[in-house]
Amino acid sequence: MTEYAVVGRRLPKLDAVAKTTGETVYLGDMKLPGMLHGKVLRSPLPHARIARLDTAAAARLPGVRAVITAADTPRVKFSFVEALADKYLLCTDRVRFIGDEVAAVAAIDEATALQALDLIEVEYDELPCVFDPEAAMQPEAARLHNGASNVAWEVHQEFGDLERGFAEADEVFEDRYETSRVCHCCLETQAVIAQAHQGGRLEVWAATQAPHTLKHELDRLLQLPPGSVRVHYPPIGGSFGNRLVADMKAPIAAILSRQTGKPVKIVNSRTEEFETARTRYPYLVTMKTGVRRDGRIVARAARVICDNGAYNDKGPSTVASAGVTFAAFYNVPNVRYDGYIVYTNKQPGTGFRGFGNPQVTFAGESQLDMIAERLGLDPLELRLRNANRAGEAAASGARPGTCPMAECLRQAAAKIGWQRRRELPPNRGLGLAAMLHTGAGARMYGYNSASAGLTVDEEGKVTLVSSVTDVGQGAQTVMAQIAAEVLGIGLDEVRVIGNDTDLTAYDLGAWGSRTTWVNGQAAREAALRARERLAQSVAAWLEAAPEDLEFQGGKIFVRGAPDRGLDFAQAARLTYTKRGEPISETGRFVDELGPTMKGWGDVYPTFSTACQAVEVEVDPETGAVRVLQAVAVHDIGQAINPMAAEGQVEGALAQGIGYALMEELLLDGGRAVNPTFADYKIPTFIDVPDPQVVLYSDPDPTGPFGAKGIGEPGLVPTAPAIANAIYHATGARLRSLPITSERLFTAMREQPAAPGPRRAAETPEPPGGASPDQRADGSGPDKLQR
Amino acid sequence: MVLDAAAAMPLRLTVNDAPLELQVPPQELLLDTLRERLGLTGAKRACDLQVCGACTVLVDEQPVSACTYLSVDADGCRVETIEGLAAEGRLHPLQRAFVEHGAVQCGYCTPGMIMMAKSLLAALPSDADDEQIRLYLLGNLCRCTGYAKILDAVRAVLRQGQTGSAA
Repeated sequence: MTEYAVVGRRLPKLDAVAKTTGETVYLGDMKLPGMLHGKVLRSPLPHARIARLDTAAAARLPGVRAVITAADTPRVKFSFVEALADKYLLCTDRVRFIGDEVAAVAAIDEATALQALDLIEVEYDELPCVFDPEAAMQPEAARLHNGASNVAWEVHQEFGDLERGFAEADEVFEDRYETSRVCHCCLETQAVIAQAHQGGRLEVWAATQAPHTLKHELDRLLQLPPGSVRVHYPPIGGSFGNRLVADMKAPIAAILSRQTGKPVKIVNSRTEEFETARTRYPYLVTMKTGVRRDGRIVARAARVICDNGAYNDKGPSTVASAGVTFAAFYNVPNVRYDGYIVYTNKQPGTGFRGFGNPQVTFAGESQLDMIAERLGLDPLELRLRNANRAGEAAASGARPGTCPMAECLRQAAAKIGWQRRRELPPNRGLGLAAMLHTGAGARMYGYNSASAGLTVDEEGKVTLVSSVTDVGQGAQTVMAQIAAEVLGIGLDEVRVIGNDTDLTAYDLGAWGSRTTWVNGQAAREAALRARERLAQSVAAWLEAAPEDLEFQGGKIFVRGAPDRGLDFAQAARLTYTKRGEPISETGRFVDELGPTMKGWGDVYPTFSTACQAVEVEVDPETGAVRVLQAVAVHDIGQAINPMAAEGQVEGALAQGIGYALMEELLLDGGRAVNPTFADYKIPTFIDVPDPQVVLYSDPDPTGPFGAKGIGEPGLVPTAPAIANAIYHATGARLRSLPITSERLFTAMREQPAAPGPRRAAETPEPPGGASPDQRADGSGPDKLQR
Repeated sequence: MVLDAAAAMPLRLTVNDAPLELQVPPQELLLDTLRERLGLTGAKRACDLQVCGACTVLVDEQPVSACTYLSVDADGCRVETIEGLAAEGRLHPLQRAFVEHGAVQCGYCTPGMIMMAKSLLAALPSDADDEQIRLYLLGNLCRCTGYAKILDAVRAVLRQGQTGSAA
């Protein structure tokens, strides 16, 4: 393992101090001179025609500066994917979910704006609704849009020969799984400030993960000449996929600003956030898997029905991303994926940490335990027999460069004490699940590149201009560590700026676990060029060739002769003053496959893998589950900042516990019944154990210093690991999320009393206990009912 | 939002040791007084229901949710917010520990979390176990960190026997 001076160190984040003192200014804290407050009138009905809309009384209310309806907006439909555009900025004649935007006001304060909303008169004619995605697919179902059916988008991919694969299987399993509608629950609700300038430019302050995307989305929504929009992206109070696609508040604020000549701010209330901010897509997954008796998976098909809600958003990318991973996971030779995205009269979904992969992995990894049991194999052993390996191409053509999946499985099992599976006290269970995910973003948008600028000033201080979106994960710090490592200086010497689309080159934003891998390479390149410039500059003074100079410990010296050198700051000063040269360089990372990507084998530049193992305790009286222990072994290539990387895994794992056990936005007739933090529970201090996180190092030659992304993977395998542990503890197999105490209690009551879930009857020899490298012998009949 | 000042009532209190005399309507919430009138935006509005802890400040050393606390109820009281924690440019041990343990991600819950932890230092013995710490901080939600590193930071300061002075 290469030892680095700054890379690989547990260093505090650059923005951490300001966040502990209350100095960090979030969007909600910002006030611009003359700023007005906007509010949105939302549909109270899930599906209706707007019969009458009268804003006159609202406009007359003192303090109201503007009231807008669809008549004030460009008549152009919008969606993240232009070809799937289906939503007007404000509803024209029809509303399609409770929360759909009907009108908006700007007033001198929020109270006046709210009062004005009450004065807007709307009459609706109710239309038939459809809430169940399977029912919505039927020809007789009420239609939301003008298409031939409610299927908004579909995808079908097959690799190998599925039928032959199933014919060759000794056993075929088919099960149906259901995942829930969960909310991102960022502690900061969505917020935006827009200021339309007289000269035509639109300046926007947005809590966004994808500022450059937002810039283009606003051009489209508002029909502006290209280049009109400048997006500032201040620190953001959580994102997790919720801030990827333009929310209508941004263009609404822009129009209100244009009408009033003042900056307009719109902030979601918490209830608005729960009801309208968009959720994780619920999936219905039918998973069909064919295996040989030895456990080798020979064929696999997944049919996914994604509940789109009323409008398109990130549905196609999440359903397709989940498919790309599904088609590569475990190197199944014959694999098929069918995905349908179906309109319903509900709040739309969007991307959420894992992009569809947690949904499909819940199905696949739950079913794998059921298969292991039927085959009389240890679940760990079954996974080891199918694990992806470095360099092995999947049927889709995807080829992970590095892939320590088997090692992650073994380490997770060893750390949780997998050999204890047969000795646990009653009501305790162990479970594990593996995952495969992108470690480097995706090329499906035709672009996966980035650039960075780096200036060394005349005092030797370094300013890195990076387009990264720091959403709290520490992206700016990671970029600074990469630059500092290359230049041989301390992290304290580097400042990072960006946060402005006029300052940075086009960038896809913070999603898909892409920032470290993509932007890190650009930062490294910029620093390398600056180093080259400095080396050329000081080589003459040091009477050495530039290529013989070392940058280390804040000094530049001749290799092998540390005495023949000068301080980094001194070198910078000399370059400016004696040579009259500035030091300002650009680094680019170009992912050439972005524009030329052919198929599913090329989507992810590199994969990351992981295994999580948990121990749970189930209260037999209530069905309540407590996660006692959690182990997360994650392939990260090379951690640039292990403390920040652990934080990503720990936080994702906590969200995974919420996904598994408690979180669900419940809808009744399209109306959210638990849209507050009092009723929608997210994990608290007592719901999450102190996890053991292992960052498995296996440097990926494609990444900066061997690094891969780690933002999303921590959530992907958590729910199935917990479901598998619950099964181990109780014998109850829950195929729907979340596994609430009520659901588990009911399931425990419904299952046959004997033989009970105890371990004496269950798995055969675990693979080697303390040295789980050895394989299980696969013997031992399984007596449990499936 | 700043509500109608016509029915304002006098309010005397100290905020971060500064004595203040204000006129506020009886329905005004302490969070709005701090954020809108005094420009102290460290305490955050996040749930409006006293269930997430992001707006936690101390009133006479007791932690309260400023989002549901009437400003007039703080009359005659000593209010402490995150902005008053670092003394003369020196971070409070809790602030240092949060930075050093990586307990900060998006940072939105951090001010409330630190204020709650400050009251914890006064309430729990320095050898309190993790379960006691977890139960004390139960009402402060964090969506980013999974709590592990926050627990590490608070435990570390508690063990030093610090009782909240910015020494």
